[in-house]
Amino acid sequence: MRHAYRRRVVLRGIDLRLRPGTLCGIVGENGAGKSTLLKILSGELRPTRGTVRHSGPFGYCPQHVVLNDTLTVRQHLEFFQRAYRLAELRCAEEVMAVLGFTGYADERVGVLSGGTRQKLNVTLALMHDPRVLLLDEPYQGFDWDTYQRFWDLAARLRDAGRSVLIVSHLAYDTERLDELWRLDGGLLRLDEAVSA
Amino acid sequence: MRGHLNWFTTATRFALIEHSRNRFALVLVALFIPLWTSLAYLAMPDTPAHMRLRATGETLAVRGNELTEISGALNAVTLITGFMMFAATFSGSRFDHRLAMAGYPRTHLVLAKVTALALVSAVVAAYATAVTCLAWTPRQPLLLAAALFCAGLTYGALGVGFGSVLRREVEGMFAIVMTSIIDLALQNPILSSGADNPIISYLPTYGAMQAATAAGFSASPVPAYLGIQLTWFAVAALIALVSFHRSTRSTLLVTAPNPKREPGSGGSSLLSPRRADVSPASATDTTAP
Repeated sequence: MRHAYRRRVVLRGIDLRLRPGTLCGIVGENGAGKSTLLKILSGELRPTRGTVRHSGPFGYCPQHVVLNDTLTVRQHLEFFQRAYRLAELRCAEEVMAVLGFTGYADERVGVLSGGTRQKLNVTLALMHDPRVLLLDEPYQGFDWDTYQRFWDLAARLRDAGRSVLIVSHLAYDTERLDELWRLDGGLLRLDEAVSA
Repeated sequence: MRGHLNWFTTATRFALIEHSRNRFALVLVALFIPLWTSLAYLAMPDTPAHMRLRATGETLAVRGNELTEISGALNAVTLITGFMMFAATFSGSRFDHRLAMAGYPRTHLVLAKVTALALVSAVVAAYATAVTCLAWTPRQPLLLAAALFCAGLTYGALGVGFGSVLRREVEGMFAIVMTSIIDLALQNPILSSGADNPIISYLPTYGAMQAATAAGFSASPVPAYLGIQLTWFAVAALIALVSFHRSTRSTLLVTAPNPKREPGSGGSSLLSPRRADVSPASATDTTAP
């Protein structure tokens, strides 16, 4: 796929297949086009040229938290429960327990810290147990313990057969990944050292 | 059927919660309406002046302060509903997009917003009518409330349109305030010598102003002018609807033969194994033109 903002070409020729049961990372410098790529994969942005194919439900966690400050955490879960047509909220409760913010269920989102808002941002992407997870800088604002627990959760999801794609500007914790792609000059290059 | 009702009631409840937590708007409702209408009533001269009401063709002797009070009530109601809907749209458009992408039916989101707008407009119009009746007695209070309600609806829809198009909060506030000032100042014969100009009939609250003036000083019902105002609302709502549709659409096209996305139960553990492969029929595509 290709994408350009007017004359500025951001993605020159991306061809990526995300296999089931894979924990995949994409890293690149600021402005390399990582978020643009994820917006296209999630259907938020139409590529200038190319096709995206999803094999079932997916979850998308945008880079900047997209929440409603006037609603509580519980009201967000109820809203998205209706959107995803879920009978119950066990998955959401499980993610909240892992990320450690169950106690904030009745707090209004506008008064939460940046890290807790991000935890809810991630939970809304995971709560319908999607086959594919598209996560854009998902751990920004997390404290160290939450950061570790997030990676454990990502690995467990991968082991359970989900495909997890994490985009970040930092190439930390690459040993946790099955595949690492570097986005540079609008092209994706596989990092053989990590992906071997 | 029950699912549709659940979608609608959930979205409506949260839309109303959002409006109720807009404290600045609530302060405006509580204080701005009585302040503006009272000042207009007290500060303007109460000597009767003759004016021809287009809606009925009658020549009426109206007190300047009472007519300006009606104009002030319309101004206050339109500013408040316009501001509330603009604020909700401006801050919530990305959230609405996320909800729609997650599968929330956009029709139900839109219906919920329209319902919330109607309820907000009804409350604000009833309050403004009650405040008006404290100072003097319009001849048709219900018609006055209906005119204020229709004007509130129209500016609420304009607020949604501004909230979808404009990029900064101050731009939207300025757009709403200036639209309302130009709209109403030009129609007030006490303030504007051009109030009889044909161009006035194309202003956004022309129908409401005619109906409200008739409500204040005439016994004639003027349903056609409420109809004009509702037409303005319909046009503004259509623009808002198109803006909402554009800002919440997904570029992913569902391919045949299975147009339905697979619903999840949300009840299974996140870590339970999944079937690795799925039928290509459940795939969704996006293709650039």
